[in-house]
Amino acid sequence: MIDTATLLTIVLMAGVTYLTRIGGYVVLRNRVLSARATAVMEAAPGCVLISVIAPAFVSRNPADLLALAITFIAATRLPMLPTVLIGIASAGLLRHFIG
Amino acid sequence: MFAAGIMRVQNPGKRRPRGRPRQSMSISQAVEAAGDGSGSEFRRGVASCAPVLLGTIPYALVLGAQATQKGLSTLELSMMTGLNFAGGSEFAAIQLWTAPPHILLIVAITFLVNSRHLLMGAALAPFLRDLPRRKVFPALFVLCDESWALGLADAKQRAAAGITPAFSPRYYMGAALAMYLTWFSFTTLGALLGPMLGHVETYGFDMAFPAVFLVLMRGMWKSVSAARPWLVSLVIAALVYLFIPGAWYVAAGAVSGLLAAWLMAGDA
Repeated sequence: MIDTATLLTIVLMAGVTYLTRIGGYVVLRNRVLSARATAVMEAAPGCVLISVIAPAFVSRNPADLLALAITFIAATRLPMLPTVLIGIASAGLLRHFIG
Repeated sequence: MFAAGIMRVQNPGKRRPRGRPRQSMSISQAVEAAGDGSGSEFRRGVASCAPVLLGTIPYALVLGAQATQKGLSTLELSMMTGLNFAGGSEFAAIQLWTAPPHILLIVAITFLVNSRHLLMGAALAPFLRDLPRRKVFPALFVLCDESWALGLADAKQRAAAGITPAFSPRYYMGAALAMYLTWFSFTTLGALLGPMLGHVETYGFDMAFPAVFLVLMRGMWKSVSAARPWLVSLVIAALVYLFIPGAWYVAAGAVSGLLAAWLMAGDA
């Protein structure tokens, strides 16, 4: 049921992933950051989030781009749940009718 | 408590998972049954995570199904999603999976995709200063994009409202455990259902991720100049995604945005 090489791969994956989870905390826990480092840390969350979803911005499917534009506009003025529902509905409908 | 939660999560999933997942009740009830009295913060965390769970379920099913098509057993896939619990790296690993697996390649890609956790943990570190390590280390095991973003956004809002401590551990754990149980259960379910599942993209569920992330970013918005690094990240990540195969785009986008923030902080 469990292959040795597979088990080793999974355990190592889990190990490096946990290291990434505790690394930032362990290294920076008791440091006082400079103004510049603070600016970087404040930009960091947004930089990571936008990088994760960047592929959606360069989709080759016009329906996806239109749905993303609608979702973007919704995100600038609506709370979380309505924005998510608008995003899902617009992507589903536009793909059905255009894509 | 974990086992009970997982079993409850899987029941609604056997009907087709549409609409809001039902497990939020069972998790918070389990915590209240444990008698710690802080169930409302935990429940608030679970509730704020609900829209994200909606988008996660189809992805989890697809990952499980893909894994079995690559030759992993359900047990192996469950171990991966339960121990590693980082979806992006798991998709990359399954994409690269061969029999036998190329261990170093997969582990290196896993590290690369998850290196953003280093930044995330660093951004969270100031809020965790007053918590003992024995609580922080287990809590960081369930750190993911969503639990981190929700926990951090909540801490910033509470700090702005003058509430101390700014970081609410139970709120964070509510969001993180809801995410963990959903991911673990539905990837396992996906592996069991295997090839019966089609592509999630057909239904638009994947748009939940940009939607959630954009709303979170609006919450972090300070000024146009403070957001310039985000634009750098977007452009670089998009270009790397288009021209370089693999999962490099996340690391490239994040690092170039940080570099931009570093340089811009100098001339401000």
